[in-house]
Amino acid sequence: MSDGEKGGSAHGMRVIRTPRYVDVEITAACNQRCSYCYFFDNPEVPYHDLPLGEWLSFFEELGRCGVMRVTLQGGEPFMRGDLREVISGVVENRMRFAVLSNGTLIDDSMAAFIARTNRCDQVQVSVDGPCARIHDATRGRGSFDAAIAGLKRLQSHSIPVGVRVTISRHNVGHLEETARFLLEDLGLARFGTNSAGYIGTCRRHADELLLDPALHAEAMQALVRIAGRYPGRVLANAGPLADALTWRKMLDAAGCGAGTFDDGGRLTGCGCHFTTCAVRADGVIIPCVLLAHMEMGRINKDSLEAVWNNSPVLAELRSRSSIELKDFEYCRACLYSPYCTGSCPAMAYTQSRRVNAPSPDGCLRRFLDSGGRPEDIP
Amino acid sequence: MKLDDAPVPNPVVVLREESDDWAILFNPDTSAAVGTNPVGVEIWKQADGTRSLRDIAATVARRFSNVPEGASGEVLSFADELARDGFFGVAEGAEG
Ligand code: SF4
Ligand code: SF4
Repeated sequence: MSDGEKGGSAHGMRVIRTPRYVDVEITAACNQRCSYCYFFDNPEVPYHDLPLGEWLSFFEELGRCGVMRVTLQGGEPFMRGDLREVISGVVENRMRFAVLSNGTLIDDSMAAFIARTNRCDQVQVSVDGPCARIHDATRGRGSFDAAIAGLKRLQSHSIPVGVRVTISRHNVGHLEETARFLLEDLGLARFGTNSAGYIGTCRRHADELLLDPALHAEAMQALVRIAGRYPGRVLANAGPLADALTWRKMLDAAGCGAGTFDDGGRLTGCGCHFTTCAVRADGVIIPCVLLAHMEMGRINKDSLEAVWNNSPVLAELRSRSSIELKDFEYCRACLYSPYCTGSCPAMAYTQSRRVNAPSPDGCLRRFLDSGGRPEDIP
Repeated sequence: MKLDDAPVPNPVVVLREESDDWAILFNPDTSAAVGTNPVGVEIWKQADGTRSLRDIAATVARRFSNVPEGASGEVLSFADELARDGFFGVAEGAEG
């Protein structure tokens, strides 16, 4: 009657009746203007907020849909003066929550409130270096001290704290000290990494931020070394560490002529559209916060369950996995295509204006064609 | 639990019927989740604090052709699992 592991089956090709997780951009306001921010400077998105009542009605619908977790993000969620009421709305509708934050506005009474709900999976704070000089270079003066103070307040109330390090040219040479600071000085259980990508505000600062192949190689080597020193404590879904782990497997498989990987040779790089969707600050339902232009409906006007099951946008994204990489000119002659998943559709879109295409960011061949070497990949 | 116990569902638990043959019971207070099939869903829906596990097992055997009449042991062990994870309590003084 029960089967504890089978819950994962919905991550495959089957569409479940309602999403399990919903990412909510609860505000378009932010007290910082980070140079690599994905959120701002998207010409296809209007930036304005909804009143509390709209969100509370929507959370009732999410409760009826059996959604398990809401991730509150922005902008900066703690900019909302009514965030306690927002969180209470989530809790009262039998859901858990997480918050993605820059950490700078979390005072002790807010941390105490979050702890009391007993429903918080984590508050994730962005920390991009071991000191103010490095962190503030991308996130603005004073932001390091304020973020670390907020993070310590969360820790003092035993709230699970996640940290995300976004790697750019400003901090790529300081990953060892950053890891030591987070894992040893702050005592975090683990931290996640990714890298600045060509999206949002980052597009205006690409030369100053994005890693070239040599720096990408440096980041991969440092992160694999650090991950070996702190087993299970350095994580990545994207960025240099994820690339290193994926690309090494692809190189080895190609080297010995291994057969096609189960998820290889097709655009299988994102399975989130089978479990998760998102809502913009203005109430528009979208597939993912990084695909903010793909409008699917509006909260409290369109039924979430109907959008989830009938949206042509989601149908298109869910059918990506039937598209062969060999259909793309650049991939056709690629030695690695039987092992490649095409990576993130959102990063494909920001660089090629096509969602149903492989992302240049996760492309091993492009890395090698632009000066990277196989021996650079640890 | 015993067959004469009448399980009471924890009101905070969410039943997610994800497809025709798959559901998840989720306790947002603890993050515990139990995946289950339509028989488990029926047991969950029957449990209202008045019906005993013996009655629930009989109902389940009637409604599902693939559940034999003597399946009360399996119903019991599923109920035990749910009780252990805080999904079920037991009604005080229930007669079944
Ligand atoms: S060219 Fe790049 S995206 Fe295409 S199959 Fe090869 S590694 Fe993958
Ligand atoms: S589109 Fe990209 S960022 Fe969005 S869920 Fe998929 S892989 Fe992740």
